[in-house]
Amino acid sequence: MTRETLISLINQVFVDKFELDPADLTPEKRIFEDLELDSLDVVDLITGLQHTFGIPLRDNKELLQIRTLANIYDLFEKLVQEHPELEEKLAKKP
Amino acid sequence: MKPRVVITGTGVTSALGFTRQELFQSLLDGRSAAKSRPDWREMMPNAPQIVAATVELPEAEVKAIKRHYRRSMGPAALFAALAAKRLVAETGLTQEELSGGRVGCIASSTLGSPTETYTAALAVLNNSLFEQSACQFFKIVSHSTAFNVANMLGINGIQLSPCSACASSLQSVGLAYEQLLLGRQDLILAGGSDEATPIVLESFRLLRALGEEPSFSPEQISRPFDAKRCGLVCGEGAALLAVETLDHAQARGAMPLAEILGYATICTGAQISQSDSASIVRCMQLALDDAGISPAEVDYISAHATSTVAGDREEAAAIRTLFGDRVPVSSLKGQLGHTLGASGALETAVLLEMFSKGILLPNTNLASPAEECTGIRLLREPLQASPRIILKNCIAFGGVNATLILRKFDSN
Repeated sequence: MTRETLISLINQVFVDKFELDPADLTPEKRIFEDLELDSLDVVDLITGLQHTFGIPLRDNKELLQIRTLANIYDLFEKLVQEHPELEEKLAKKP
Repeated sequence: MKPRVVITGTGVTSALGFTRQELFQSLLDGRSAAKSRPDWREMMPNAPQIVAATVELPEAEVKAIKRHYRRSMGPAALFAALAAKRLVAETGLTQEELSGGRVGCIASSTLGSPTETYTAALAVLNNSLFEQSACQFFKIVSHSTAFNVANMLGINGIQLSPCSACASSLQSVGLAYEQLLLGRQDLILAGGSDEATPIVLESFRLLRALGEEPSFSPEQISRPFDAKRCGLVCGEGAALLAVETLDHAQARGAMPLAEILGYATICTGAQISQSDSASIVRCMQLALDDAGISPAEVDYISAHATSTVAGDREEAAAIRTLFGDRVPVSSLKGQLGHTLGASGALETAVLLEMFSKGILLPNTNLASPAEECTGIRLLREPLQASPRIILKNCIAFGGVNATLILRKFDSN
C-alpha cells in the first residue's frame, strides 16, 4: 500500500467523524491544538481507525502517544508492514 | 415576603415557527403541524394512517452549532439547543452572566432521545456496541437536554431535569420558579424538548391513545374535547423560558413578559397511564393557593387536553368542578399536536403572546363538544380579551399533574 493510499484512508476517518475539511488535513497538524479534537473524539478516532483497518487498536499504546497527523500516518505505515494481510483486506473493501 | 418571579424571554423550536410570535401567528392563522408520515410505515405496519407533527430544522442553523457541542445531541437536545440560542439572542444575556454561577438550566424530555436509543438498540442487535460513538450515551441519558444546553452556553449553576413525560417542561418551569424563590439562582433557563418517532407513536397506539382514524385528514385528527376525538397527534419541538427574579430582571434592564404567580405538581398515586379529575382539581387548587388567588380571578385556562377520550374527559370534569362554565378554555394541540415533554413550556410561550396580543386562541377541530366535556366554556373562535391571569395545565403518564399560574406583568 502506498503512503498516499494510507493517508487517504486515515484522512477519510477524520472527515467522516469530525466534519473536517480535507484541505485542512496536512501532516504537521496537531490533533488536539489544530484539529480541535478532545478525549471523547479520540475514542471515536480509534473506533473509526479500527473499523477502517480491521485491526484492534484500543490497547495500542503507540496510538495514545500520537500528537500530529504525521504521527498517525507513520504508525499505520508500520502497522501495515506488521500485518501484511491488511493490504488484501483493504483491497476488498468497497 | 417572597421574591417575584418573572419570564423575560423565550426560545422556541416548533413545527409552526421558530419564535413565540411566529408560533402564535401560525396558530391564529389556523395552520396545522400535522403531517402524514408514510415513511414510517415499515415500523408501524398496522396503523390505518400515520400522522405526526414533526419539525423541519433549518440546516444552516443546525450547522452553526459547533460540532463539539452538537456531537452529544440527539434530536430533542438539538431542538432545545436551537431554542436556547434564540433565547440568549432575545434576552441579551452575556457570557459573563451565563457563566457567573447564578444562572441555571432546568430542562427535560420524556426519554432523552428515542431516536438515539433506537440507534443503540440496533448496535446491540448487530453486535457492534464496540463501534458506537463515545457520545452515544450522552445523547440517550434522561438529562441530555439540560446538560447539552448548559454545556453549549457555558451555564454553570444548577442543572436539573424533572423528567415526567408530558409534564416534564412545565415541571422544569415550576422547579425553576421554586429554586428562584429559595434564592438559589437569579435566572434559570427552563423548559424542555421532545421528539416524535415511530417508537413513541407506537407506544401511544398500543394504549389506544394515538389518533389514526382513517376518515379524518391529518389536520383533522387532533380534536381536543370533540365528540369524535380518537387520540392524539404526536408532535415534537422545544421551548426554553428565561425565568428570573424580578429584582434581577430590573437590575439588568430586562422587560418581564409575565409573572409566575403559582405552581403545583402532584400525582394520583392510583393509576400510571392516566390522571383523574379529582387529582387534577387538587393540583389546580394547590396552584391557586400558591398564587394566593381564587378561581374567580382566572381569566383563561390553557388545557393539557391532548384529544384522547379519557384525558380530555377527566380534565374537563376537573375544570367544571373548579371553574364551571365561566372561564374560557382551550387546548393548542388541535393544531400543534402534542409536543410531549416540550408541551408545557412551548404552550406557555404562546400564552405570553396571548397576554401581549390580547387574543385567546381557540380549540381547533371542535365541531361538536363531547357531552362529557360540556359545562365548561370551550373556545371555538379566537377571542379578543385582556387576560390578566392564565392557568396552564400539564398531565402526564405516571398519573402526574402540573399547573402553572401566570399573571400579565404589572410593575405594581
